[in-house]
Amino acid sequence: MKVQELAERLELKPATKLFPRDVTGVYISDMVSDVIANAKAGDLLLTAQVHANVIAAANLVDICGIVVTQGKTLGEDVVKMAEKAEIPVFTTSLSRWQMATRLYEAGIR
Amino acid sequence: MSEARTRSYEMVNIRPGYLVIEQEAHTLRKRSYFVAESNPPREEYREGTEFWKPFETAQTFQFDVRDNRSAEVIPFRELLGLLYYGCCKPESDVHRMGDLAHDLRISLYVAITTEGADGSRHEMPLEKVRVLNTLFNERLTSPDKKVLILPDLFGLYKEISYGQIAIDFGLTSME
Repeated sequence: MKVQELAERLELKPATKLFPRDVTGVYISDMVSDVIANAKAGDLLLTAQVHANVIAAANLVDICGIVVTQGKTLGEDVVKMAEKAEIPVFTTSLSRWQMATRLYEAGIR
Repeated sequence: MSEARTRSYEMVNIRPGYLVIEQEAHTLRKRSYFVAESNPPREEYREGTEFWKPFETAQTFQFDVRDNRSAEVIPFRELLGLLYYGCCKPESDVHRMGDLAHDLRISLYVAITTEGADGSRHEMPLEKVRVLNTLFNERLTSPDKKVLILPDLFGLYKEISYGQIAIDFGLTSME
């Protein structure tokens, strides 16, 4: 499933431009080091972190997109960095757990 | 055979812990090291005539890399973190180089290393930087995307705030 299709289905709010990528899995973490060590290319990252280092880590391991949970917003510099790295970022007021259940219901395993 | 076993290199022996930056009380000299413990050290201590106390800590991890062809395990204890060029000042050399590389779908990172007890930097041999490049590039699936990890030829460790390195400084705060 494409990131954009998933975002529309789950009513996620885009924080950046959209970039076409396939979602092949999900990784949930707020730790940059954990993402670098364990996330896989094509994973959609669910996180409450909005630090620029999250984009640096997501880019390093080829994350397909980021969903920032709990209603957090990104700084302008982080949005620019994500767009340059062609990583679409979305926001939601849902928690990571609520988001995870919706992704599962949407068929993402 | 697992996906990882089909690759040349694999991240192994992942050790969660803390990067500790400590400061000497009189000279204000700083140095950094990694501890694989559940809690970071908080006590100051004496070393000869010097008093060292914790200055800042960040959650991070260390890892080794296994060469899947020879089964050799290569330690990376000197790696402090990877600095993304986009986190550097726009007028810096590394940012300008990173921008040029970006045009070719290459993402530039710099391997920042730890300091020894005397404050000197631990060098990362070029051969190990090559291993890191292969390790991370083999994980990518986006067409034409590449990652280029460089040794710290720029002396960035002297200039940067540790918070720019892709580790978890300040990221455990959830407010």
